Amino acid sequence: MTAPVSAHTAPAAALPRRAAPVGPSRRDGGRRARRELAGTLGSQAFLLVLALAFLAPVVWALVSAFKPATQIISDPLGVDPSAFTVENFRRMFTDVPIGRGFLNTAVVLVVKGSITLFCAPLAAYAFAKYTFRGRDLLFGTVLITLMLPTIVLIIPLLLEMKELGWVNTYQALILPGAVDAFAIFWMRQVIAAVPDELLDAARVDGATEFGIFWRIVLPVIRPALAGLAVLTVMNIYNDFVWPVVAASSSRMATLQVVLSTLAQNITGNRIGADYATVTGELLAAASIALIPLLLIFVALQRHFINGILAGSVKG
Amino acid sequence: MTAAAVATARGRRRPHLPRAVAPYVFVLPFVALFVAFSVYPMVFTLRLSFTSWRGSGAAEWVGLGNYTYLLGNDAFWSSLGNSAVLWLLIVPVQMVLALVVAVLLDNAKVRMRGFYRIAFLVPFVTPLVAVAQIWVVVFDRDYGAVNGLLNLVGLPDVGWLTTTAWAKPTLALLFLWKTTGFIVIILLSGLQSIDRSVYEAASIDGASPRRQLWSITVPLVRRTLMFSVVLQTLAVFQMFAEPYVVTDGGPYGSTTTAGLHLYDHITRADLGTGAANSFLLVIVVMALSLLFVRLLRSED
Repeated sequence: MTAPVSAHTAPAAALPRRAAPVGPSRRDGGRRARRELAGTLGSQAFLLVLALAFLAPVVWALVSAFKPATQIISDPLGVDPSAFTVENFRRMFTDVPIGRGFLNTAVVLVVKGSITLFCAPLAAYAFAKYTFRGRDLLFGTVLITLMLPTIVLIIPLLLEMKELGWVNTYQALILPGAVDAFAIFWMRQVIAAVPDELLDAARVDGATEFGIFWRIVLPVIRPALAGLAVLTVMNIYNDFVWPVVAASSSRMATLQVVLSTLAQNITGNRIGADYATVTGELLAAASIALIPLLLIFVALQRHFINGILAGSVKG
Repeated sequence: MTAAAVATARGRRRPHLPRAVAPYVFVLPFVALFVAFSVYPMVFTLRLSFTSWRGSGAAEWVGLGNYTYLLGNDAFWSSLGNSAVLWLLIVPVQMVLALVVAVLLDNAKVRMRGFYRIAFLVPFVTPLVAVAQIWVVVFDRDYGAVNGLLNLVGLPDVGWLTTTAWAKPTLALLFLWKTTGFIVIILLSGLQSIDRSVYEAASIDGASPRRQLWSITVPLVRRTLMFSVVLQTLAVFQMFAEPYVVTDGGPYGSTTTAGLHLYDHITRADLGTGAANSFLLVIVVMALSLLFVRLLRSED
């Protein structure tokens, strides 16, 4: 009889002591509420200014792309909607093979993206949920390549492409980096958090090993997978160093290579009217390159943010 | 019925992949690509670093020659120095800024959180070549929008990309602008794993919001913070495309980062030295990562 009574009285005895510190704060509650309101307004103002500063360069570029080229450099801050023109875009389309750039980027995006999104989680599943010979050695190698600067591998990779006769081909753009170390590392973290009981239950029900991956693991990690998808699309779309080296011919140039070629013109034409023309074309090209990705991102940002939130390390 | 017969009977019913074999099959596509396009080039580069080779003809074995040459070379040390200065300009600022923004975005009372998350991530998703070029135009000494703003309030032009004093900060600003949104999201994930009742208890005990930030939030997201520091240390010391497009290493080599210096060897077809430079850089990056991980552990 004694045990239940003491268990019952203990919380009751603790209550007044817990409640005591609330007293004084309730007395000056008005001041505290005002201070909290001021704090919230301050935070709000800080975030707003910072966010606008983050958006400014991109907004400036998008707006300037529609300004007459000479005005971009004579009056970089002025905005005169009545003078807006699509001349920069028209000239860019005639001067630069940007259509071809889009096509090449689209092909690489679809094929390379599919390889990454299939192979990386599959391998990560093996790393996370099976013990097999050589696993730790292989995963250790993955971690080392994470630390290796990408440009380190460029010389040997380029020599390899020459050896294979792959310079200026889609293979060269697609296969190197199709399953990068970061994707494997990230997916392994995510899949390791999937409960083993779930997999064992599926096994008891007669699921195949691949069936477990396909029908249990993939659906469970869908948020992180969506995050990986958005990140992969952005990485491939924005990739620049490797395509410049491996596929610089105008037939194989991706959008970013086309952009960087245009960028080289700008440093070559530092004087007067030429500078203005190239700057106008460049801002038009930059806008065209930004817009599809911005649209994709705004449409999918929830998946991307939730994916990273689901996938990154715990505090 | 023998065990083998059972296995074949089952195998006929449905083609089961034996559990012991499955992981090998699953890693096979990855391993094929990884060995061909990561491990092989890595081993090739390591061997190359012990030779003198200019891209054609026979490679001459020079042992540690490339390494000793680099360690006594001023350009190598100044490239590391430039990266170290950029690290100082970027990482501490970014961690404080990202943590403040993440804490504010984690507060349910702050409005328009969806808008802010998008706004801070816009630079991260925009193509680097495009934004780097925007940087060149916006920070142009004569025609740039930033100097235009300065003139508006009566200040003189600044040679943002053309003076040694300003080139590094301007480049650091590009990097901060481009990547801070991503770090904010990573820190948010750390914040969201904190148990809310800790804050309630602290409020009841009368801890101020600032006190709660230092005594609760920072210690609890320390792991996420350190993960971010390691991630950004790797990124800063490998930084290549930003200075390549914006300043091409100038003025007077003040923005020749470790990554860009490495590339110089490649363009001069000095491949053996370039390979040795790569591995020295890996050693530096690994040492720094281990240092940060150790700092994290010692406080646990």
